[in-house]
Amino acid sequence: MNPLSRPVRPHLSRAQLPAQGWAGGLLVLLLGIVAAAAPWISPAPPNEMDLLAVLLPPDWSGPGPHHWLGTDNLGRDVLARLVWGARIAFVVAGGAAAGAAVVGTALGLVAGLLGGWTDWAISRLVDLWMSFPPVVLSLLLLVALGAGLGNVVLAIVLVDWTRFCRVLRSEVMVIRRQDYVSAARLIGFGPLRMIRREVFPGIVPTLLTLVALEMGIAVRVEAVLSFVGMSVPADVPAWGQMIADARGDMSAAPWAILAPIGAIVLTVIGFNLLGDGLRRRLDPRLLGRT
Amino acid sequence: MSLLSLRDVTVTARLGGIDVELLRRVSFELAAGGVLGLVGESGAGKSMVGRLIAGLLPDGFRVSAGRVMFDGADLLGQPAAAVRRLLGRRIAFIPQEPSAALDPVRTIGWQFGQHLARLGVARGMRPARAAAALAEVGLRDPAGVLGRYAHQLSGGECQRVLIALAFCSAPALVVADEPTTALDVTTQATIVALLRRMQAAHGTAVLFITHDLRLAHDVCDDVMVLYAGDPVERGPADRLFTAPAHPYTRALLAANPRLTGPRTMLRALPDTMPGPLAFAAAPGCRFASRCEIADPACAASPPVWRLVAEGHDVGCAPACQAGLRRVAAAAMPAPANAGVPVLRVAGLGKVYPGGWGRPATVALEPVSLEVAPGEIVGIVGESGSGKSTLARLLVGLETPSSGTVTLDGTDVTAANRANDARRRAALQMVFQNPQSALNPRHTVNQLVTQAMEVARAPMAARHARAAELLRAIGLSPELGGRYPFQLSGGQRQRVNIARALCATPRILLADEIVSGLDVSVQAQLLNLLLRLRDEMGVAILVISHDLSVVRYLCDRVLVLHRGRMVESGAAAEMFARPRSDYTRALLAACPPDPLPVAEGMPT
Repeated sequence: MNPLSRPVRPHLSRAQLPAQGWAGGLLVLLLGIVAAAAPWISPAPPNEMDLLAVLLPPDWSGPGPHHWLGTDNLGRDVLARLVWGARIAFVVAGGAAAGAAVVGTALGLVAGLLGGWTDWAISRLVDLWMSFPPVVLSLLLLVALGAGLGNVVLAIVLVDWTRFCRVLRSEVMVIRRQDYVSAARLIGFGPLRMIRREVFPGIVPTLLTLVALEMGIAVRVEAVLSFVGMSVPADVPAWGQMIADARGDMSAAPWAILAPIGAIVLTVIGFNLLGDGLRRRLDPRLLGRT
Repeated sequence: MSLLSLRDVTVTARLGGIDVELLRRVSFELAAGGVLGLVGESGAGKSMVGRLIAGLLPDGFRVSAGRVMFDGADLLGQPAAAVRRLLGRRIAFIPQEPSAALDPVRTIGWQFGQHLARLGVARGMRPARAAAALAEVGLRDPAGVLGRYAHQLSGGECQRVLIALAFCSAPALVVADEPTTALDVTTQATIVALLRRMQAAHGTAVLFITHDLRLAHDVCDDVMVLYAGDPVERGPADRLFTAPAHPYTRALLAANPRLTGPRTMLRALPDTMPGPLAFAAAPGCRFASRCEIADPACAASPPVWRLVAEGHDVGCAPACQAGLRRVAAAAMPAPANAGVPVLRVAGLGKVYPGGWGRPATVALEPVSLEVAPGEIVGIVGESGSGKSTLARLLVGLETPSSGTVTLDGTDVTAANRANDARRRAALQMVFQNPQSALNPRHTVNQLVTQAMEVARAPMAARHARAAELLRAIGLSPELGGRYPFQLSGGQRQRVNIARALCATPRILLADEIVSGLDVSVQAQLLNLLLRLRDEMGVAILVISHDLSVVRYLCDRVLVLHRGRMVESGAAAEMFARPRSDYTRALLAACPPDPLPVAEGMPT
């Protein structure tokens, strides 16, 4: 291979993730596979009601069709709903994290590179934005936008872009002061090439870390919003909705509420471990200490 | 009896799964009131000796053999509490970074108070004692300094405060680790003079750790040279530098540019010092791989110490006794014939406007200069002299407040697209610090051909050019696939130079490109610049605070002081007969050359 066409991220391609990063990555991968393969691995259609078999406890006996994790108050299979719910969680996590990353990175780059009044304006906007409690802000946004999956993603993006913007702005400012940016400018790099070749590769590690953490946050926020019924329609299984549905029979059928809670906790832990592992591995201060 | 003595001290650390001897059988004696210099390049282990005495070896490092005796007692055998009682009282330290060694959030007075309290001085006595100590180190307003913070003092003042702190317990031994490296030449001279005055007044012994041969020769009674953890030679400073016996000492001296005498080519050692991980593979003399007179036995058997003269001994394999070849120093290449100036600067100046009651700051008063093709022009000045401002104005990173820059007859002062392109084609800059000037995420090949990336040159052409450039700067093209962190400091600086050469500029602007590099690597780079000038006919503007570097390289020199040009002219003329007071002060501040000039450089 021509050495000039090698990948630009040596520290990532050669990454040795700490053990916790691997654990988080595996967990996320596993849940991702479950979400992707839901139609094939789900033991039953998620909305199939069986009013003769409501609130059945988990059944692990012998072969044959069982409700592995029991049924809820409408006789729907909890495991099936859990599996399908993972899809919603991942769609929201992916969409919201990607959206927040794009908006936050763009504004962070602009603020960090241009400095001056632009930086002041964007930074104050971020301050203002962050002064709203995030859950209240997202609820308000959903009231304004109307419920629905797309709007949930949009609401999370609108609430959480500030996290990306703030962190990446300071990172860009550090990079901007490096001599290699001046050197590239003297060699004739235009602003776009400068960002693409010199600045952006430097913030990729942080960006990846933030995306992983943001995905965990998005899963949690989506659960909160579907809990209050502001997310997906009632016929789409989502973890938050499952918690809301199972709340009434919590003492009679704890499995129906523990299952989605467990799923949310596992997913968030997975994303957080992955993000933490990436951060430790890709921390720019540790660059070059190979 | 000697105050401090090290007997065959070996420091071992476990690195990469193997035990590495980072210091090997280090022995020396420091008499009470004497000054011993520890000299070596970075990685030689000289600071390790200081840390050893302070009991501050890093985790995992241990003294595996030998004894450290201080004032008749074994320093290593004593309980930690007993050693702590010695430190700061009988043994004091002067650190390398004066401004970093003082607590930024406490006043100087508070820090003095803490130290005096530890020494058992009564509370009421402390301010007077502190003021007296500060007055002794020549600080003008001692009482005022006590109320100030570190950031309100200059680097030289901070170092004076630290010297005062070190000496106020009347210690028997002061360990000074590169105490003047972070300071300007003139400040260095005053600090060194102060240190010597204090040492003589108090009869204190000083262990002086430095990489600067010139300084060691000037300051020390005795000197020990370290190479890769091995002591290689020790003796009286005068003898060691006039009649060096070890090939490494001789090579160091031959690589050090001189301030007097005829200008001759520096003889640079090949390669660099081996790192600690390579030590295990070298059971014998660690210098053997770079030694001109080594034979195969050298690499296998450890060096043997032998006496060269009274008090002067050398650790070198017996083969060395066979005698030393003398090589006549090569003459410098003649400067290229000056033609039509390629760069013409007229009245270039920079003023930063004030505002809201702040006065405007004059960073650079109008400067004029001309550079002919193939000429090397030096710009000399200390920090705050405006030399970096001048560089940034020339390359267009800052807009001048007055004056013009003319390249090849075209005025390129105004900042616009066409002028930027002209400037780029004719003038390129090599940045001071390759650590920050090379993007850690690009390979060497990508870095050196960045100029072609802008022109969207095909990959094959870039690859070919990269190999060509690497050969031109003396690196193997195989290094092209590496990332900067996989290179040594000297290699990085070469890559830095190669990048600036990619678009074959007519002028290279080299901003302090050898500061912070070791003598032997510095000599390699200086010779590289001379060779590039001869082969490519490129003119070079050398910005430096180091007069010996400027004298070695430059045909003409410009001296800046506080944003004003105080002298300009032919280099030979300026060094022989400096006209301005500042230039004279600058020259006087440099420690004198160690070798008698008439003698040919032994090799």
